[in-house]
Amino acid sequence: MFHWLEQRPFFFAVMLFLTIAFAGFIEIVPDFAKASQPTVGTKPHTVLELAGRQVYIKDSCNACHSQLIRPFKSETDRYGMYSLSGEYAYDRPFLWGSKRTGPDLHRVGNYRTTDWHENHMMAPAEVVPGSIMPKYPHMFTNTADIATAYANANTQKSLFGVPYDKEGMPKLGSWEDAKAQALKDAKKVAADMKNQSVKDKVAKGKVPEIVALIAYLNSLK
Amino acid sequence: MNSMVKGGILLVIALMAATYFMAGDAFTLGDDYINDLTMLGAVAIIGITVFVSLKYINQIKNDTATGELASENWDGIGEYTNPVPMGWAIIFIGTIVWMMWYLFVGYPTNQFSQIGQYNEEVNEYNTKFQNKWDNIDEGQMAKMGQSVFFLQCAPCHGAEADGMDGKAQDLTARMSKEQILDVIKNGSNKLGYSMGAMPPGMASGEGAEKIATWISTGMKGDAPAEFGACSSCHGPDGKGMNGMAANLSGYDNTLLSKVLEHGKKGSIGTMPSFKGRLNKTQVTAVSAYLQSIQGE
Ligand code: HEC
Ligand code: HEC
Ligand code: HEC
Repeated sequence: MFHWLEQRPFFFAVMLFLTIAFAGFIEIVPDFAKASQPTVGTKPHTVLELAGRQVYIKDSCNACHSQLIRPFKSETDRYGMYSLSGEYAYDRPFLWGSKRTGPDLHRVGNYRTTDWHENHMMAPAEVVPGSIMPKYPHMFTNTADIATAYANANTQKSLFGVPYDKEGMPKLGSWEDAKAQALKDAKKVAADMKNQSVKDKVAKGKVPEIVALIAYLNSLK
Repeated sequence: MNSMVKGGILLVIALMAATYFMAGDAFTLGDDYINDLTMLGAVAIIGITVFVSLKYINQIKNDTATGELASENWDGIGEYTNPVPMGWAIIFIGTIVWMMWYLFVGYPTNQFSQIGQYNEEVNEYNTKFQNKWDNIDEGQMAKMGQSVFFLQCAPCHGAEADGMDGKAQDLTARMSKEQILDVIKNGSNKLGYSMGAMPPGMASGEGAEKIATWISTGMKGDAPAEFGACSSCHGPDGKGMNGMAANLSGYDNTLLSKVLEHGKKGSIGTMPSFKGRLNKTQVTAVSAYLQSIQGE
């Protein structure tokens, strides 16, 4: 066998590749499969949170913010418990980020609140003196894209088996149901906000981007 | 003696001379036995390197191999079917045995864990923290409180703890008149005092105004008569009867621990809970800091 292979560089290369690939496979895959199971208590994002997540991606928050707390005391003191891979099971795509111009946001929902985000997103430097984070006043006027968020959730449900509509998990239902639920969630967020025009819009059945974004940030725990 | 051995000896002498000129003045023989050993090692390395190289160069030049040729042949280069040398075979099998040991017994699957390392780091830190701050004095306490405050609280309460124009509680003073009126009107039930909830509507109209003004201006002088409705729980001095109900006159340790544990939602906004994020010393420290800035 070896003499045969030795005389055929192409098949030799193929066998070499298979051997190394096999070693990599048995080293990586079992652990990977185990670690990527959703952790207990991890839930898929609601439609409103998904809409906020789209805003987060669209405005490139992930260019300055990571969502991955590493297991060092200095990090867990500031941000809370280190991140586990299973917590990202329903993140498509995940938003680990690669650069921390600003702080990590993986558990920002634990230590910042709706009214704080409202002030901060409107004018970061007024809340944190010297902050270089840009202002996002357009989020208070732009309307969040709930329809795309619903389509996104629906795709994840049917294509990737994300457990929407299961017991104890967020409900998706029909587009009408989902729209009503998103508006209900938005009203809860708006109730803690101060900006009157945002409140008025939500009362009229529109969801400004800032409301969706805050719902998403509050869900990061 | 053939010419290669002569060349080798010459090379060794040349190398040693070079070494001597470069580093020879750095030490005198017999000064320090570590230096002597180092020099001896250098001489040995030069000698061994040169003569081992010579041996193999010589072998390549003169050796003629024997044995049976394998059938394949690459552009005239053949291969003998000699058996594997014993030493080589032993090393090969030994490597496989070692691999099994490494995979199932040795490093890293059984020894290193990132989380284990993290836990060690935390334990080490906590022990250090305890040893260092076991006998902390008042001044240090307030200083520690200030640094905790800068990191954890200042983004909301402001670096000056003044609440940044009403974005959060102004911690240099107790509650404002509007806040107190709001609590009187709506009650309060979040902080987990042993008394339970504070019911809404304990006073109203002008009475409520009077109480709120008196409390928010620092409870100076006699309490208005209407405060009788409050003193059964908050005490005649408004200090909360040793932690039964909220202290209305200042941020004592009990109030602060309750706020940090449960968070607070009031007329200004929402404060998140800090449960498990600060240790006991740190909570006491923050409360010492808050007390040190009252009335500024
Ligand atoms: C140019 C880089 C940059 C971008 C883009 C950016 N941020 Fe920031 N962000 C910062 C910096 C720097 C800070 C720290 C100062 C501060 O709190 O304002 C920060 C702080 C924050 C905080 C407070 C976190 C904490 O622990 O105090 C939140 C929440 C946040 N950003 C959300 C966002 C969101 C949402 C977006 C996208 C809409 C965004 N940021 C975009 C740089 C950025
Ligand atoms: C039945 C007992 C009771 C009475 C009577 C009462 N309180 Fe309270 N009060 C409490 C308790 C208990 C709390 C803490 C509530 C919580 O857990 O949020 C509290 C909280 C408060 C707070 C909020 C303190 C903070 O730090 O958030 C204010 C202000 C207050 N009371 C004012 C008054 C005034 C003014 C009156 C009289 C009109 C009054 N209370 C009567 C039990 C009482
Ligand atoms: C996300 C913003 C935020 C952070 C972080 C925060 N607070 Fe607050 N805090 C608030 C707000 C908002 C209020 C006012 C709540 C109300 O009464 O409406 C408040 C109220 C308080 C009060 C008054 C409670 C009472 O019963 O009167 C204290 C004391 C306090 N905070 C201490 C702290 C300390 C200490 C820290 C840091 C360990 C901290 N806060 C961190 C937002 C914050």
